[in-house]
Amino acid sequence: MQLNNVSFSYHQQAEIIHDVSADVTPGHILSIVGPNGAGKTTLSKLMTGELKPSRGAVMLDGEPLSQLTRKQRADQIAIVSQQNQLYDDMKVIDVVKMGRLAKHGLLAAIDDQEVAPYLAMTGLQSFANRPMSQLSGGQKQRVWIAAAIAQDPQYLFLDEPTTYLDIRYQTELMAIIEKLHRQQQMTIVMILHDINQAFRMSDDIWLIKAGKLVSTGQPNQFYDERSLSEIFNTAIRIVSIPDYGKYIVELPDGAN
Amino acid sequence: MTKREAFWYTVIILLLVITVLIALMVGATPLTLSQVWQAFSGHDSNNLATLSQIRLPRIVASLISGAMLAVAGALSQAAFHNYLADPSILGVTNVGSFLILIASFFLPSLYFGKLVFALIGGILTLLFLTSRSILQHSYKLIIIGVTISLTFSGFQQLFSGESLVSTNSFNGITWSDTITVFIIRLIGLAAAILLSPWANYLKMSNQQLETRGISARLIRICLLGLVVWLSSGVTAAVGVVPFIGIIVPNIVRFLVGRDYQTIVPLSMLMGAWLLLVADTIGRTVILPGEMPVATILTVVGGPFLIWLLWRQQFNAIK
Repeated sequence: MQLNNVSFSYHQQAEIIHDVSADVTPGHILSIVGPNGAGKTTLSKLMTGELKPSRGAVMLDGEPLSQLTRKQRADQIAIVSQQNQLYDDMKVIDVVKMGRLAKHGLLAAIDDQEVAPYLAMTGLQSFANRPMSQLSGGQKQRVWIAAAIAQDPQYLFLDEPTTYLDIRYQTELMAIIEKLHRQQQMTIVMILHDINQAFRMSDDIWLIKAGKLVSTGQPNQFYDERSLSEIFNTAIRIVSIPDYGKYIVELPDGAN
Repeated sequence: MTKREAFWYTVIILLLVITVLIALMVGATPLTLSQVWQAFSGHDSNNLATLSQIRLPRIVASLISGAMLAVAGALSQAAFHNYLADPSILGVTNVGSFLILIASFFLPSLYFGKLVFALIGGILTLLFLTSRSILQHSYKLIIIGVTISLTFSGFQQLFSGESLVSTNSFNGITWSDTITVFIIRLIGLAAAILLSPWANYLKMSNQQLETRGISARLIRICLLGLVVWLSSGVTAAVGVVPFIGIIVPNIVRFLVGRDYQTIVPLSMLMGAWLLLVADTIGRTVILPGEMPVATILTVVGGPFLIWLLWRQQFNAIK
């Protein structure tokens, strides 16, 4: 996937994304990192085709994403967005089956066997027949990931997958994502709130600020207090923790 | 099929069979079960005429109409994300009924005309109700729907010069009416069963469906098209029959849960049963007169609706 001079604005208003050009390396985990309001979600929506660039183009296998049909996009790209509520209760397995519609179309009847591997990958076998309303936040998030990978996509987009989850579920979820990445060779694009999580998980980092792509590279390039402080507009220190490695902390106001 | 679903299927099918038998027995000339049997086995041509020419067509018409109304209610609730969104509440059937009345002044002897005008009325109402500003607010949908419904039934009384409920009834329905209803409607019911998974799909947001390669719009148009087809089919044949589409799917949800692949077929059976019960009561309680089925259903359905509103369970959005 390539982004060629992608810009975006709503109805002639000020641009939210300015002239972003970059390549997504197939098979890598990419994290988009930046302060709140930098345009992370907007950029990822441009990359999934949910939004159309006002200038430039997102290319997928050499074709502009905006020229693909809904079905062609769903065949390649799966999304776990921040908003995942249901209008009415459904069983876990039925939610996951809906991911398969991307491959089969509307009239298909999908049997339980077909989605069993996706439930297994996310550790949901014993929840298959439970209603969604009875699950915890972490379990629900796993269901949405299972439904997304059931699309068997090349690209999996995750927008803040760990928000609202407590620390145990966060670790669990990240382990699942890593496993998926290893087993399926899926290209994963994440927006992560937790910068340490992003740096530890990812092969590539895109740093964005005020709608601009500030820099791209491997995480170890970014362990630099000055540039991080500048991007997040706050005093940042990098500390070393035994058995963990480098850890980025934000200093309280006025500390030096 | 879960045990619970199997249980309720069995119960409702048994109730249906028993009610059909009772409906054959009761009436101006009460018959015993053995008389009914004798008539059908060819030993009593007098009673056979009563049964096959008067009672049976009416029973069949009630069953099919009840099934259609209950299914229309269930699908409409799925499309609107609202458990109260029944065509009779939303005014879909009343606008259709009003157009039929108006059309009868200009084009009196048009049989299919009735269906066509009921369809036009239903489609216009749904087009209006699915406009974005109304769809987003569940209270607004119901309030505007009820207002449309009341307004047009008022118009209808004004133009026809009589009370609405007294005009519609299964009284005097014949085989030729029933057969026509039968063929056209059965197609609609079969389509509803076939498309019942789509009602489940609409539990996801348009955006979520879009990313799975599905057009939410297409699904919604198809389901609401079916809703109009089924509900105006009944309106054209027997007039406005209220509340079935609210009572039945909500009870079915309570019995077997939220899966439309079970809700649709079970609503079909229960709707058929409920309308037959109401009609059978209506034609026997005040013999030799008759109480319109709409009156009976309003008496039962009104309090049910109030109860649902009181519990605030009409809005499926959580």
